[in-house]
Amino acid sequence: MTSDTTRNRGKNRTVSTLMRGAALAGALAAGVGTAAAEPVKFWSQPYGDLLQWQSSLEKNIQAFTAETGIEVDLQIINWSSAFSNWLTVAQGGAAPDCADMFWLYSFSGIGGDKYGPKPINDHRSAWPELDKDFFPGSLTDVNWQGDFYGIPWRVDVRPILVSRTALDEAGLAAAPDNWDEIVAHAKALTKRDDNGNVSRWGYNFGMTNAPQALVPLYWQAGGSFMSDDGKTATIDNDEMRATLQWMHDMIWEHKVVNPDFMEPSYDPQADFVSGNLAMVGSVAPNWGSQLSSQYPELNGSWEMAIAPKGPKNRDTYSGAGYWGVLRGTDKEAECVKLIEFLSQNDQMQSLSEASSAVSPRRSVMASNYWADEPWKKVLSASLEYGRTSQHPSPVWSALVSPKPGSVIYDMMYDALVAQKNIDEVVSAAQVRMQVEMNRSSDN
Amino acid sequence: MRRETLIFCYAMVAPALIFTILLGIYPMLASIRISFLEYDLLRVHTTGTPWVGFENYLRVFNDPKFLQTVVNTGIFTVLAVSGVISLGLLLSQVLNEDYRGRSVVRLLVCVPWFVPPVVASAIWMWLLNTDRSPINYLLMHWGLIDSNIRFLTDREAWGPFSVPMLSVTAVRIWNGLPFVVIFLLAGLQSIPRSLYEAAEMDGASILQKFRYVTLPLLGPVLGVLLMLLVMTGLGHFEINYIMTGGGPQNLTNTMAIYSYQQAFQNWRFDTAAAASGLILILTGIVCIYYIRGQLKKDVR
Amino acid sequence: MSVSGVEHVNGKAGRRLLSSSRRDALTRIAVGVITALILIYILVPVFWMLKSSFQSALEIRANPPIWFPGEPTLKAYEDMDRLIPVWRYLWNSVVVSLIASVIATLIATAAAYVLARFRFPFATLILTLILVTQLIPPITRVFPVYTFIQSLGLLNTYTGLTLAYIGFSLPFAVLLLRGYFETSCPPELEEAAMVDGCSHFSAFWRIILPVSLPGMAAVGIFTFLNAWNDFLWASLLLNQGSMKTIQVGIGDFASEGGGVQYVNLFMAACVVATVPAVIMFLFVQRWLVGGLTAGSVK
Repeated sequence: MTSDTTRNRGKNRTVSTLMRGAALAGALAAGVGTAAAEPVKFWSQPYGDLLQWQSSLEKNIQAFTAETGIEVDLQIINWSSAFSNWLTVAQGGAAPDCADMFWLYSFSGIGGDKYGPKPINDHRSAWPELDKDFFPGSLTDVNWQGDFYGIPWRVDVRPILVSRTALDEAGLAAAPDNWDEIVAHAKALTKRDDNGNVSRWGYNFGMTNAPQALVPLYWQAGGSFMSDDGKTATIDNDEMRATLQWMHDMIWEHKVVNPDFMEPSYDPQADFVSGNLAMVGSVAPNWGSQLSSQYPELNGSWEMAIAPKGPKNRDTYSGAGYWGVLRGTDKEAECVKLIEFLSQNDQMQSLSEASSAVSPRRSVMASNYWADEPWKKVLSASLEYGRTSQHPSPVWSALVSPKPGSVIYDMMYDALVAQKNIDEVVSAAQVRMQVEMNRSSDN
Repeated sequence: MRRETLIFCYAMVAPALIFTILLGIYPMLASIRISFLEYDLLRVHTTGTPWVGFENYLRVFNDPKFLQTVVNTGIFTVLAVSGVISLGLLLSQVLNEDYRGRSVVRLLVCVPWFVPPVVASAIWMWLLNTDRSPINYLLMHWGLIDSNIRFLTDREAWGPFSVPMLSVTAVRIWNGLPFVVIFLLAGLQSIPRSLYEAAEMDGASILQKFRYVTLPLLGPVLGVLLMLLVMTGLGHFEINYIMTGGGPQNLTNTMAIYSYQQAFQNWRFDTAAAASGLILILTGIVCIYYIRGQLKKDVR
Repeated sequence: MSVSGVEHVNGKAGRRLLSSSRRDALTRIAVGVITALILIYILVPVFWMLKSSFQSALEIRANPPIWFPGEPTLKAYEDMDRLIPVWRYLWNSVVVSLIASVIATLIATAAAYVLARFRFPFATLILTLILVTQLIPPITRVFPVYTFIQSLGLLNTYTGLTLAYIGFSLPFAVLLLRGYFETSCPPELEEAAMVDGCSHFSAFWRIILPVSLPGMAAVGIFTFLNAWNDFLWASLLLNQGSMKTIQVGIGDFASEGGGVQYVNLFMAACVVATVPAVIMFLFVQRWLVGGLTAGSVK
């Protein structure tokens, strides 16, 4: 989910997966005791421009030390190794005292009550106005099985990205607002050369991570992936069949989506900036800042819009990253103080600006920074429709792993690329998903 | 044998032996052990790692996807090894001649060696991207094709063969060529010149010299090389994984990738260990011949 | 280039026959053409990397492709250090690979020497064990090796990674050097020294080591390149802070936008990452083939 937001910039996620996996090998190794170092150990992933982010975070932490006298040892964990780092932590590997984290449900499911994220229910009172100050969607990402784990500070919410140039060319006024309009727009935007080769595809469902593109579409068709207790898979239904059928038709009947969209070498961002792709259905917020800072020559030629509505609703892929405490720390009180300090308005404002990450804090999103560009307003407005991509089963992140072999990926590949019978594909996937989910329940 | 000599021998061989046992033999045994346990990352903190016998192997063999990776692994190895050896034989002959600029050519031939697989894969992915490929552009420009070749994504398969499989093989050959050339060059240089001169006296052509002098004398070197290449080829992972992730439609998936996916995407270290145990058996068969060949030299 | 080159085949003997054999002329032309094609195949990706590092990201992505930089610029080389500390990582790689290759070569030389020269109890078993490790695919070792290095407390240290590289290089190094001792180092050498009253060790140290330098250099470059090109182990055993190797750094780079918007900086970093290996190669190439010849690879 959120880990992909930032990583998804380059097509080369395969390399980072390699590293992740490699370091993950250590996940089961004997636990390494937390060193009894004096300062609070704090880890954070980098966001936006690496240098800008680091200096902003350091400045805020220095201010915290000046105010409280608590020393903090900051370490930046690169995205290429972040996933394995947190999996290692959840398995008893070396952990910091507190950190910027994501995927609370999975990591706390894997860590059980021994390792990984630590509930801080006793400190909930430090944020009396939490429900009022923060968007409610972001708070579901820091609560798990009745426990409170920390403060959300960034949100991944995914609007649709369209090429203004292409729309103008086709005489279209605005981005599509529902599934039918997507089809009509995409047909109008797809261009073919004399040999019948496509020179511009009308649409792609999402970013390089294919399962993440399916998730909101299935929601929009009215489906949900599992029961609320995280024990039963619920994908063998008309909603899933409708979703896959619609996607299938986009590729094979209307021929507006590149059939290679699930291969690792396919890169929608590169295609979009080079004009070979007109619309991307669900993109992470950082695409906005990337496009405006890295491709100033493209300014004015693209825009974002709130995700189009499906047959049932407009649910948008979303998830929050948060600051939380780790099990095994002896500095819980200091950690809470640090998180409390960072979650104040000014700090969150400066970090949101440094990272150009959408903030879950209402006051930050109401500031000028988030209103000076149309795409920023779209992100702000999209928060209304955000639905958390986390699911109440620790196996979820394996189910939607963007590689052949994961249940959802294989289901999509069979239905959409290999064009097998959708009914059979879906019911087979349901069986597989249930088997995988049973792994983590205690039977 | 004198005691002093014995001590000397063991002292000299000890460091190598210690490294071998700790970083080679022990990890191998540890991995084989895991293949007989239940080792599921999601269950390990509740159920531990109970002994399950051959269950992991059975599961792997009941997965048709895995069986396809076995076939693919074999084909990849044969294609890559035969390709790299034929190109290597030719280039090493060329580099073995005397002419000006030979050292430049040798350096150029060796260049892929200095390009790490990670970088090589990234560059080749640029060159082989369906829509942006400069190769496609040139072919199109010269009128040789009328639609882009989908080097890494074409799903059409002729039996186990496919365009992506050939593309990935080409990159693997590219990456492994310098090592083979240097290895063969060394072998060529140990063939006495007088043999060629004698052959020339008999009026042998270049091809005949190659057939009747070079190949037979290069035999032992080729044998060692072949086995080394087959062993590394069977376990090969990086280039396939980065370029295609095993796709499209499992066409370029190999046993090593399957094992990796099981461990690091599906968090099943047990299934992964079983799959890699099977690679070990395959390489083991090759290895028996290899070691027998090496040991024979002792008694000659 | 190679067409003209092949004409000097086999020195004197080749030239003598050149006029007499039309068949051979045809063969030479065919070989020349094929060689040229192979060279194109070898060099295109390298050229692509090189020329991209002198272009802007926009120009690299251009369609139709631009093969020669319109306005060559060094900007990518100036900027790459802003994204990852390229030079620092490069230094880390040099240190780890160099130390690993020197130590591995020494250890392998010692073992190969006695395995080639002396028959002592368990020698065959030891040799078999060393050679067996050659068959273990990396994927099989990943997890146990990680655990082992961790239990030594050597995760994220230069020492841990260096030890791993030494271990992985040994089988091949022993194999090559054993062949070298058997064929290119006459036993008479140290026998003479022993007669002079040298111990085994000083004979090895003073007589054998110096004459086996070419073989060691060849093995050294093999082990150096193995360590230098490695990504899997480095990303596993040394992936934190400023101690990363350049390959891991490049992996980070790829995930931080090297694939698309910083592709020029990425290509520049890739070029820089290949240069030390080239230098190393130039340095030892005159021993490389010589060190392997004389039957050492049989």
